Amino acid sequence: MDSVFSQVCVLGSSLVLIFGLTLLWRRSVTAYITAFQWQSIVLSGLTAVVAYFGGDHELYLAAGALAALKAVVIPRLLRRMEHRFAAARELQPYVNTPTSLVIAGLLVLFGYAITRPLVALSQLPTRAGMPLAMGLVLVSLFVVISRKKALTQVVGFLMLENGLALLAVLGTYGIPLIVELGVFLDVLMGFLVMQIFMYQIHETFESIDIEQLNRLRH
Amino acid sequence: MIGYVLEVAQAALALLLAPGVVGLIRWMKARLQNRRGAPVWQPYRELAKLFQKEVVVSNNASWLFRAAPFVVFGSAVTVTLFVPILAVPLPFDGVGDLLVVVYLLLLGTFFLSLAGLDPGSPFGGMGASREMTIAALAEPTVALAIFALALSAGSTNLGQIVARTMSHPGAALSPGHLLAFLALFIVALAETGRLPIDNPATHLELTMIHEAMVLEYSGRYLALIEWAAAVKLLVFFSLLGNLFVPAGISMALTPATLAIAVVTLLAKFAVLAGAVAILETRIAKLRLFRVPELLSVSFVLGLLAVTSSFLLR
Amino acid sequence: MTLLFGLMVTGYAFGAVAAALSPNDRAARLLTASGTVVGGGAGLAVAFGHFASGAPLALEAPALLSIADGLAFRVDALGAFFLALVGLVAVPCGIYGAGYSAAYEGRYSLRFLGAMLNLFLLTMSLVPVAGNVLTFLLMWEGMSLTSYFLVMTEANEPDTVQAGGWYLAMTHGGLALVLAAFLLLAGGAATTSFADLRTAAATLSPATRNAVFLLAVLGFGSKAGIVPLHVWLPRAHPAAPSHVSALMSAVMIKLGVYGLLRVGLDLLSGGPAWWGALLIGLGGLSAVLGVLYALMENDLKRLLAYSSVENIGLVFIGVGTGFLSLSLGAVPAAMLALSAGLYHALNHAAFKGLLFLGAGSVLHATHTRDMNRLGGLIRRLPWTALFFLIGSLAIAGLPPLNGFVSEWLLFQSLLPGIGSSAPLVAPLMTLAVGVLALTGGLAAAGFVKAFGITFLAIPRSPAAEHAHEAPGSMRMGMGILAVACAGLGLAAVPIMSGLGSILAGHAGLAATTPRLGGLSLSMPGAVGQMSPTLVALGLVVATAGVWIGVRLFARGPGLRVDETWGCGRIAQTPRMEYTSTAFAEPLRRVFAGLYRPTKDLSIDFHPESRYFVQSIEYRSEIVPWFERYLYAPVIARVRWWAIGTRAIQSGSVHAYLTYLVLALLGLLVVLLVQGA
Repeated sequence: MDSVFSQVCVLGSSLVLIFGLTLLWRRSVTAYITAFQWQSIVLSGLTAVVAYFGGDHELYLAAGALAALKAVVIPRLLRRMEHRFAAARELQPYVNTPTSLVIAGLLVLFGYAITRPLVALSQLPTRAGMPLAMGLVLVSLFVVISRKKALTQVVGFLMLENGLALLAVLGTYGIPLIVELGVFLDVLMGFLVMQIFMYQIHETFESIDIEQLNRLRH
Repeated sequence: MIGYVLEVAQAALALLLAPGVVGLIRWMKARLQNRRGAPVWQPYRELAKLFQKEVVVSNNASWLFRAAPFVVFGSAVTVTLFVPILAVPLPFDGVGDLLVVVYLLLLGTFFLSLAGLDPGSPFGGMGASREMTIAALAEPTVALAIFALALSAGSTNLGQIVARTMSHPGAALSPGHLLAFLALFIVALAETGRLPIDNPATHLELTMIHEAMVLEYSGRYLALIEWAAAVKLLVFFSLLGNLFVPAGISMALTPATLAIAVVTLLAKFAVLAGAVAILETRIAKLRLFRVPELLSVSFVLGLLAVTSSFLLR
Repeated sequence: MTLLFGLMVTGYAFGAVAAALSPNDRAARLLTASGTVVGGGAGLAVAFGHFASGAPLALEAPALLSIADGLAFRVDALGAFFLALVGLVAVPCGIYGAGYSAAYEGRYSLRFLGAMLNLFLLTMSLVPVAGNVLTFLLMWEGMSLTSYFLVMTEANEPDTVQAGGWYLAMTHGGLALVLAAFLLLAGGAATTSFADLRTAAATLSPATRNAVFLLAVLGFGSKAGIVPLHVWLPRAHPAAPSHVSALMSAVMIKLGVYGLLRVGLDLLSGGPAWWGALLIGLGGLSAVLGVLYALMENDLKRLLAYSSVENIGLVFIGVGTGFLSLSLGAVPAAMLALSAGLYHALNHAAFKGLLFLGAGSVLHATHTRDMNRLGGLIRRLPWTALFFLIGSLAIAGLPPLNGFVSEWLLFQSLLPGIGSSAPLVAPLMTLAVGVLALTGGLAAAGFVKAFGITFLAIPRSPAAEHAHEAPGSMRMGMGILAVACAGLGLAAVPIMSGLGSILAGHAGLAATTPRLGGLSLSMPGAVGQMSPTLVALGLVVATAGVWIGVRLFARGPGLRVDETWGCGRIAQTPRMEYTSTAFAEPLRRVFAGLYRPTKDLSIDFHPESRYFVQSIEYRSEIVPWFERYLYAPVIARVRWWAIGTRAIQSGSVHAYLTYLVLALLGLLVVLLVQGA
């Protein structure tokens, strides 16, 4: 399975996963947003490549929509939020950096173990990237549970969605445009709701540290 | 017969070129920082000067302090016999493989750390403790990068790896190789004491690692250690260049191919030196306790490199 | 051959009896040593005689204790290997002990020590050659009891008494598990001889086989020192006299590996894949935790004890990979892995023995094991320093010594597994490679600390300043093992062929020989080749060449020994040098999540102002978390039960009589129900 297409798929998926790992390595929220932006660019590029090799022209539209929404619109909104909340840095996560990275590596191996049946069953040349997409999903989940700042968790959630999109593209050789649009709308809705939520938290506590929510309890 | 001659010539070339590579990096850094910088052959002058200076040994030091520079240099020279610099396969290819190379370099580090502790100065102890920490944490990455390469080549012997990549040029771009290259590049920076892990030009003890260990050395001992460090850098550059992009390496051992090999080698060194120089100019040195995080990143890259090779089966 | 065997037994027995009856202390020491040397040498001769001739030796005495088939001894290849291991370390330790135990004269009984030492070595030699269950268990228990008495030699120290208690409890726990394993195995067999057990094992149900294996892993693993059953090791090994520590660490824990191989490989002939995976998991855990705790130790012998835990972990990784490959049908890979594991066990015996003897020499000279009070010993104890350096280089796995060769082989045995297509084997092997590399690097760091802080720089206490070199017998003992370290590395090719033929025949393993004979080590199933002798030669030639070159061409104006500039400090005192705690501090910080060090800081402020400080006391302790979270609660629970059951000891005779009657009635009821 050494064709150029398969190799490009694995390379692209690896890059997407590495951008996801940036969330566990860097501390500055600006870096997270930039990583998400680049991840979305690579993802839309990969979708376009799959569209080219698969001869599915609808997928080009999906790739374009992905690029427009996730590489331009959402990062701009995120940066605006970041300016407003002066979030800056994730200094004391629940799990420290080297341990997080080692756990991320183990999660990738676990993802490989989980998707073994899928990979074995599939005949598509893109199947080699699926374990990496699964790894990204698991790593994003880990980011959401181990980081404290609300912005980090939002970016983690968005990367989770990226991972699922990647899994869909690789696993089913592209998904129908209507489904893709539906998912985009879902994400946008979720994102706007989270924006409102973060605004409220900031108003109440003067910070977006999720741990502060403990203080609401009596 | 010609193989053995070539081995010795290769080692001699490595010894001769090593200070030049260090000089090249320094010159490029200077130019990037808008300075004129010393010429590329300045390290040669420094070595010559050091060999002519008197040696002062601390009265607390023991025979180990005097023996360590020779062991460090000897292990660096031995390593150059196994690394593919000009041509493959050479007669010593079956004698030492990539693991042997890594552990010979670790031998040098071990003795250098002991020599740092020997005179009893706090700087030496500090350098030794930091250096061993970084060396220990970089080991898993090196092992995984080696195995990522060895998996596709079917052997840990360097000549075989190069031969396999030469016969399957497409494999050079496979994700496993690229990730292993990244991981090995980070480790090379760590092992040779370049920014962002260690600053080779620093004079502040808080930022020293390698410099702190060799602070007590002078004269010919210091010359040997500096030269050995340069050889180590050249060895890593050769590994990065020739294992991943072996184009230009001589397989036929004729004078024409050897000449091409030398030229491509110099070109690869120039590119890698440029990359290191740019990196050193752009990135600030990491705090010591951030270095394990960087090494964890390289570990995960190594892990991904190995997994992608059993993904693409 | 029978003659040599008899010589071995009589040698040790003579040593024991003569030491017990000797007229004075000096005679006791010499008689002990001579008994040990004769016995050990004879043991080596028996083993090599077996390797040369290939004929198994069997001795039986069924008349003794005939209900359990009496005593039976059988020397086969696997047993001979471990017998050779015992002999290899027994001889230098015996010689060393002659000089070392002089420090005990007048304080503790040298006769008892000598008798127990010889009996310990005798029982240890007879464990690998036991031919049936009774003999094995008798010798095993004898080994445990005699080593308990040896650990308790310095009974006046409170730490020793506590160490003895832990050791006794854990070794008997292990014995109970091993006994259970053998009982299960012997369930279907005609007699309890190992030959019968082997044939009967084929008819056991898979559930029984799994149970036997698990019991064997736990029982033999606790003797070998696998996490989490290792807690006796860091207590018992430092407390014992140094040559005994060397024997325990080098030889006794390997007999745990022997037991596992005997039961798992020989009697049960291998099993499903999870057996190998379990061993690899336990081995990896022990390796990482062992070396991490070793790094944090300031007591030289405790550091060496934790390092033994690490190395046993590495042996288990090799053995586990062998079991795993065997279950997947990859026979050359299995051979390679098992041979690598056994080779590492042999190498560890050599260099750990050497290191413990070196530590003993330091203890003998300075009366302290605390590295923070040592230093500068390289001038006062030059030979000990040299031997300890050789041992440190070997254990750090650096070329050209033996530790490097066995680590290289362990790496080579893991690589084929990464290419395997069986489920989950590839990720497991990848993780194992990472663990192996990490422990190698950390071990190097740990031994830079051990050697550097103990021997280099300036003495940190008066004890270290007035140290004196060890007597000749101690130096000879260390020297023998140092030569062994170098030799075992250079002789890699014959050793690997030998191990191949030792393991052949068990569980369907076919003998494999290295591909290229002579100098290059290239094993079938391995993915690379190297030549230990040529690497060593190259290194020596290169270093010597540089030295000669510099002497000839670059003399320069000469060398001066003087005070060096110290960044403005006025005088160099021992307070300024790096301590053992300081050296390990970066790693302590990196792994703080694992260590969870406690911190206790008390500051005495000046009564006038909080800006001035009169004294600061800082105390930090690392309690290994399995002791905190596993053993402490278990011990507390056992204590609670014990206190609860005390209630039945009321002191009233009537109560005791009532218990008797109730027990009798209960038994009658049971018989009634069973008959019905």
